[in-house]
Amino acid sequence: MAAVRNYVPETLDEALLLRKAEGAVPLAGGTDIMVQGKRGIGLSPEIGKPVMVISSLKELKGITMLPDGSVEIGALTTAAEIAESLIVPWHVRMAASGMGAVALRNIATIGGNIGNASPKGDLPQPLILLDAEVVLISFDGERRVLLDAFIQGSKKTDLHDDEIIKSVVIPPHDFTYSYYRKIGMRKANAISKLSLSAAAVVKDGLVVDFRASSGAAGPKVIRSREAESMIIRRPVEDIPEIVPDFLEAWDHAISPHAMPKYRRNSTARMLTRFLEAIVNEEEPGIVE
Amino acid sequence: MPLTSIDDRVVRVDAEAKARGEAMYVADYSFPDMLYAYMVRSSVPRGRILDIHVPQLPDGYYFISAKDIPENGRNELWMIQKDWRCFADGDVRYVGETIGLLVGPDRNILKYLLDNTKIDYEEETPAVTIDDAIALKGGPIYGEDNILCSLYCEKGRPMQEIFNEADSVFTETLETGFQEHVHLDTNGAIITEEDGKYVIYVSAQCPFYVRKSVAGLLGLNPEDIVIRQVTTGGAFGGKEHFPDVLCGPLLVAESVIHKPIKLVFDRTEDMLYSVKRHPSKITFRTALDKEGSILGIEGTIYYNCGAYLSSSYVVLQRGVFHANGVYDFPATYLKGMGVATNTFPSDAFRGFGAPQTLFAIETHLDHIARKFGFDPAEYKSRYFIKKGGETVTNGHIVEDVKLPEMLKQIADASDYYRKAAEYGIGSGKGIGVSFYNHGGAFTGNGEQAIIKAHARLVKTGERVLIEVGSTEMGQGFQTALRKIAANALGIDIEMIDYPNPDTSLVPDSGPTAASRSTMIVGKIIEDCAKEMRERWDEGDFSVEKEYVHPEGHPWDQSTFRGDAYLGYGWGAAIVEVEVDRLTNEVKTVGIWTSHDIGHAIDSLIVHGQVNGGVIQSLGYASMEKMENRNGHFRQESMSDYVVPTSMDFPKQEWFLVDNPYQWGPQGAKGMGELVFNGADAAYVDAVERALGITVTKIPIPGEDIEEALENV
Repeated sequence: MAAVRNYVPETLDEALLLRKAEGAVPLAGGTDIMVQGKRGIGLSPEIGKPVMVISSLKELKGITMLPDGSVEIGALTTAAEIAESLIVPWHVRMAASGMGAVALRNIATIGGNIGNASPKGDLPQPLILLDAEVVLISFDGERRVLLDAFIQGSKKTDLHDDEIIKSVVIPPHDFTYSYYRKIGMRKANAISKLSLSAAAVVKDGLVVDFRASSGAAGPKVIRSREAESMIIRRPVEDIPEIVPDFLEAWDHAISPHAMPKYRRNSTARMLTRFLEAIVNEEEPGIVE
Repeated sequence: MPLTSIDDRVVRVDAEAKARGEAMYVADYSFPDMLYAYMVRSSVPRGRILDIHVPQLPDGYYFISAKDIPENGRNELWMIQKDWRCFADGDVRYVGETIGLLVGPDRNILKYLLDNTKIDYEEETPAVTIDDAIALKGGPIYGEDNILCSLYCEKGRPMQEIFNEADSVFTETLETGFQEHVHLDTNGAIITEEDGKYVIYVSAQCPFYVRKSVAGLLGLNPEDIVIRQVTTGGAFGGKEHFPDVLCGPLLVAESVIHKPIKLVFDRTEDMLYSVKRHPSKITFRTALDKEGSILGIEGTIYYNCGAYLSSSYVVLQRGVFHANGVYDFPATYLKGMGVATNTFPSDAFRGFGAPQTLFAIETHLDHIARKFGFDPAEYKSRYFIKKGGETVTNGHIVEDVKLPEMLKQIADASDYYRKAAEYGIGSGKGIGVSFYNHGGAFTGNGEQAIIKAHARLVKTGERVLIEVGSTEMGQGFQTALRKIAANALGIDIEMIDYPNPDTSLVPDSGPTAASRSTMIVGKIIEDCAKEMRERWDEGDFSVEKEYVHPEGHPWDQSTFRGDAYLGYGWGAAIVEVEVDRLTNEVKTVGIWTSHDIGHAIDSLIVHGQVNGGVIQSLGYASMEKMENRNGHFRQESMSDYVVPTSMDFPKQEWFLVDNPYQWGPQGAKGMGELVFNGADAAYVDAVERALGITVTKIPIPGEDIEEALENV
């Protein structure tokens, strides 16, 4: 019950210093931290560490298109801003627009959603599909890590004690087919029960790129390069005979704890549907 | 000509204060020197308490438990019986059972004390499910067989003869789950002393119940305690008896401490440690001839009551009495058993036992209809009970039953018969139908024999004060009752006052429950108002009346024979869905209902009740899953126990049939529970047709649909 110090840094440098000196926990929207620390009516949440409210740091805000076509999203960018941005890739916009309810989307940030590292988190799933990198900043400099490597498990990341998540960089893509589904416990304001993104590039009858990512189907977002490689560089007409093995490999990769049958079967049905669009050479675009 | 016509849609009298945030709920009240209380609860479902380790208490902090009950008091809450203990003593019977209260001025310190209070148990094997209770898992909890309460009723020739003559017998077991009330205003109460009396401010439906329930703890009479209902932000039955469980320990604490004490649950406490709807397991054996016509139905009905009886026997009675739905079958035998388990006691919840059996009978009839190739609407309508028809308790239906007209309304509006034929079975699209009713007010002669409701009108100058114990809990009663009085008095609704009740000031008009307020209390107030209008020029005076039971409608509570209800609300619902084959997500594309509630007192309030009740029923059928593992509820927040939002279901098309009720005010009958009682079965029927599955258990979220698909 010892008093915990809270800070409101005005600059990024000040925040980095606080982070290094006090191990202060960055708080932006607070939609995870405040819930996790809640202690009941009339009591302040207990975070257990000093907290710094970083909401006003301009350096961590905004969405920018980089010269190479990548999109950089500042860590303090809210889900609402991401959902409305036309330069953010479709999969990520879809995930942002289905996160929580309106009020939450207006304050919850991409940095928080990544840092919280819940397997049910909405944004990591499409970001991992797109090979996004996370930019981490400390008093001693910056480093960039593939998000898939940064998130190590449920609620576990590779964030160092002196680091803050600065931004996320999404490399450019030009998919022939895209697929995104979030299944919540209800249609709005719901935590994900299961989610799936998939994307493919098809050129001259050849599947040049194929990828998928499953959310809420294991301790972290799951991508199976091994399963993906079964499809990549294969002619479209070969896909039907690969599908059973691919689905088996994907099923092997995911490890849903609760409702396993439902999560496994739904994932298989959605992947089957996506591959069917490729095989049938459907109109390029979003697969429903 | 009255200034406020009964048919006017008026703005609810409580709307502005609530919309502006000015309404004061329990959590908003504060008194000088007020202390806070935290409940110390059992963390095991069944066991002996070996030791209680409370940390050293700072000055001004207290641990209140059974030891603080005075010698002339008894450690019992008097609901219907006196079996629910105020404080667990010696043993615990469910997770969340109150062991003590920590009381003191600083919530931070109290939280520390709570987190560091340790209880040693000798744990025993709990019985959690109905099957556990029947199997006497861990040994009986109650008596020798765990049967807390039971009853049967029968009609027509003995079922054994019918089974012998039947061409076939269709047997199936249907189950329903726990349901949490999720009233926005969590449970809470404050106790204080004023003028030498204990005064309790509480979020509650039934102030007089609280008084009666807790007085014996201190050896007092109910009149020695004053209950003031504060604005109650939702209840749904969850605040019928459960406030006693907060107020009892508070009263004991007050007798020791003599300062204002506040106890308010947070959402997690309200989810994990409050009463729920009774889970049920219902087996029907239906005797059929070779054309699929019903010769008779035998029903075996189990309700999971939890560790104490509370109102379960009455809930079970209502369940049994509604187990033939809206139908007149030639013969039936229905047996109901309420079993004791080591779960939080189940208690009142909108519908009060009727929704479980109504879901079961509707779904069972759907399955029979489908087996014999009949459309469920057509099949069921063959058996609609009519005026004068014999009920399962050998009583008779007193009103015209408008179900054929109601079915026509919603079948036309939804294009039911075309869609039912076109979609067929397993197309991904489905349309389903259900019929239901709800007996108005207390069962049998309860209104006359037990409640004996009183209500009073007081005239002061040109203003009239309504004095009743009935409460506003969001259902609109403070508006409806003002309208009834204004209409009968021929004055404007603005001239009528009706504050939240205080038991020291108003007569006991019975609990705000059982869809009885408008029908019973409204009628007494209407009669008071008629007399007051006659005598209007006499100056300042008051008129008080007692409920008068219509003659010629006998009821025997010992054999459960006679007119169980003197009037029913009736309902019909159609629900249309499209199911996503990849994800089992169900999209409801249409909802059509028709209700007979006699004559509506205010169609705006009624519309709100229809919308809310139907959506709550659809949540019960689709997504509201409350699981209990080893005695612990698994859902503890509004993100893991989900109730529907406005995104989940479309705009409803709704109808009323006007069927004025002879003994109701302005022809009104009860309606608050009716509107919950049937949309669930229509939804399940629609999903079954869309996917060609058979559902025998609700709720059916996607993962449960997956199980059902495996059995196709």
